[in-house]
Amino acid sequence: MKIRLENIVKRFDDNTAVNDFSAEIESGELVTLLGPSGCGKSTMLNMLSGILYPTEGKIYFDEDDVTFVSPEKRGIGLVFQNYALYPHMTVLENICFPLEIKKVPKAERIERAKKMAELVHVESMLNRKPGQLSGGQQQRVAIARALVKEPRLLLLDEPLSNLDARLRIEMREEIRRIQLETGVTTIFVTHDQEEAMSISDHIILMKLGVLQQYDKPQYLYDQPANCFVADFLGNPPINKVEAIVRDGKVMLDNGETDSTIRVENIPDGTPVYLSFRAESVILDEKSPLRARVVMTSVMGKEIITSFVLGGKEVRGYMNSDVELARDQEIGISFKKSGVFVFDRESGERYL
Amino acid sequence: MIKRPFFERIKPLLYLLPFILSVTIFTIYPIVNVIRMSFLEGYKYLTGDYTGVGFGNYEKVLADPYFRQALSNTFKYVLLVVPISTAIAIVLANLLNQKIRFQSFFQTAYFLPMVTSSLAVGLAWRFMFNDKVGIINYVLNLLGMESVNFLGKSGGNFMAVVIFGIWSILPNTIILLLSGLQNIDPLYYTAAKVDGAKTLRIFFRITVPLLAPTIMLVVIINSISTFKMYHELFPLFNGPGVAYNLFTVVYYIYYEFRVLTPPKYGLAAASAVILLITVFIFTMLQRAVQAWSRKERGEDVKKTKRHRDALR
Repeated sequence: MKIRLENIVKRFDDNTAVNDFSAEIESGELVTLLGPSGCGKSTMLNMLSGILYPTEGKIYFDEDDVTFVSPEKRGIGLVFQNYALYPHMTVLENICFPLEIKKVPKAERIERAKKMAELVHVESMLNRKPGQLSGGQQQRVAIARALVKEPRLLLLDEPLSNLDARLRIEMREEIRRIQLETGVTTIFVTHDQEEAMSISDHIILMKLGVLQQYDKPQYLYDQPANCFVADFLGNPPINKVEAIVRDGKVMLDNGETDSTIRVENIPDGTPVYLSFRAESVILDEKSPLRARVVMTSVMGKEIITSFVLGGKEVRGYMNSDVELARDQEIGISFKKSGVFVFDRESGERYL
Repeated sequence: MIKRPFFERIKPLLYLLPFILSVTIFTIYPIVNVIRMSFLEGYKYLTGDYTGVGFGNYEKVLADPYFRQALSNTFKYVLLVVPISTAIAIVLANLLNQKIRFQSFFQTAYFLPMVTSSLAVGLAWRFMFNDKVGIINYVLNLLGMESVNFLGKSGGNFMAVVIFGIWSILPNTIILLLSGLQNIDPLYYTAAKVDGAKTLRIFFRITVPLLAPTIMLVVIINSISTFKMYHELFPLFNGPGVAYNLFTVVYYIYYEFRVLTPPKYGLAAASAVILLITVFIFTMLQRAVQAWSRKERGEDVKKTKRHRDALR
């Protein structure tokens, strides 16, 4: 099912949680609402589920205006952060419950619930109570319960944040597998950029209630719309060095300039950030950008080097056959990709 | 050097002494004494004389038609008041748990019985129950029903006690259930509503099962207190009803001990012990049911898991 969001605004008293949010979500895709806490992603999810209604704007499911339709009439399945499995019911009863409400005959109910349990791999624990399951198993049951009534839209509200690190990776792959197998349009809320990058078809990145960028994960990483997007994605986080614009080039605070990095039509003296990914750093003795090595650390197959550039400590993956000593002076240049220039105040991207 | 540690050692005992003394004198000693008295035949309280030791008192008590009636009245009273008041309290606690207008007014109104003297309130009920001028019969008449002689000789007076009893234990019950309701994660309701569950289904399939532990607690507490039913009789009937048809076990104890001349201390003590055993068995039964239902919910497993996590 296709979803269209038109100029959604949600205000709580004086506080605007979501502001002028417009997006279209294609049928059968898994789209992640990503952002730091307080960015309005959960509010957005609650408006999609019908638990909250927007102050302004319209929500369409295919061609139906569902802006003010109550949750049970939207055909959605919802998975909560702490699963909200009914503790007094068995796994089977939990999965059956949405069908029981819909007055599906008992035999059919059980058959459909069992099929769902097989899909999420909990068929061997149908008679257990949620209290007897691990976190990951509870998560699977919650997904089965959300999917059993064959919703048009599956909504997942930070479903992995209660799991430990190893299980989180396993479960996100499981969620992706289940989503691909059922083909259900899915919206996934998280604050974890790695999680979002690994399972989404598209990511919607939000900040303070405003949509920052809506793109494919790799595109979000390679072509960030602004400084916030670049800062939010990537591990290690993107390096940021203060600089100003001089003659269409970027000059670091110590006066060094790399003439290969150029911006156009930006007035001289504009304060900017020179941002670059750790993997975009090249060791280049002839470069005018000089840096001093602070330390190197071996991280498995890669060596990450910390060095001071323009008065700021930054990090880069270096060529591993060069041995760098502490306090050694090196020259730095950059690859074509993964290097950006942002306005220091507005965050606007110039390069 | 030796004195100080000794004093330190007995210091906690000194702090506990007032409590230990009062419990011994006012709780343990009377219980032991009642059990002893129940086996002494022809016991005279003032002189301490008795004619024999054995189960004679118990035989007499169990053969006494007054006691049998008292026991059956008490059981009927418990079996009517506890379930009805619990059911009403669950509904009222649910209503009080919602965000409604005049919420504090309703809370005060429902908790009123707790802060008023049962004697004073009982007198008010007595007026309401009156078959000539009472408001209850007035309302019954308005609804086209015949007047019930609540305070007279008929079965109506048992009904009157039951109604008054239900009303008296409601506030405590509601408070306990309300605290139980507030412990239920509202997310369960959201989840059910998103799936389209209506109020009644949510109530019976989610609220009541999740409230079960509290309901069980309430039933046990109320059973114990209603087994000891006694003082409700006075404001309504000045005693155990017309022609003694409302004898309860505790009233029977009082009657043997205080009203009869000469008093039959042994019989009073024996009936008190019988009541004690009855309440004990009843409570054990309910606890067994509770333990079973907890096991059904798989809570034990959760507890041990939490315990394991804490050890880690």
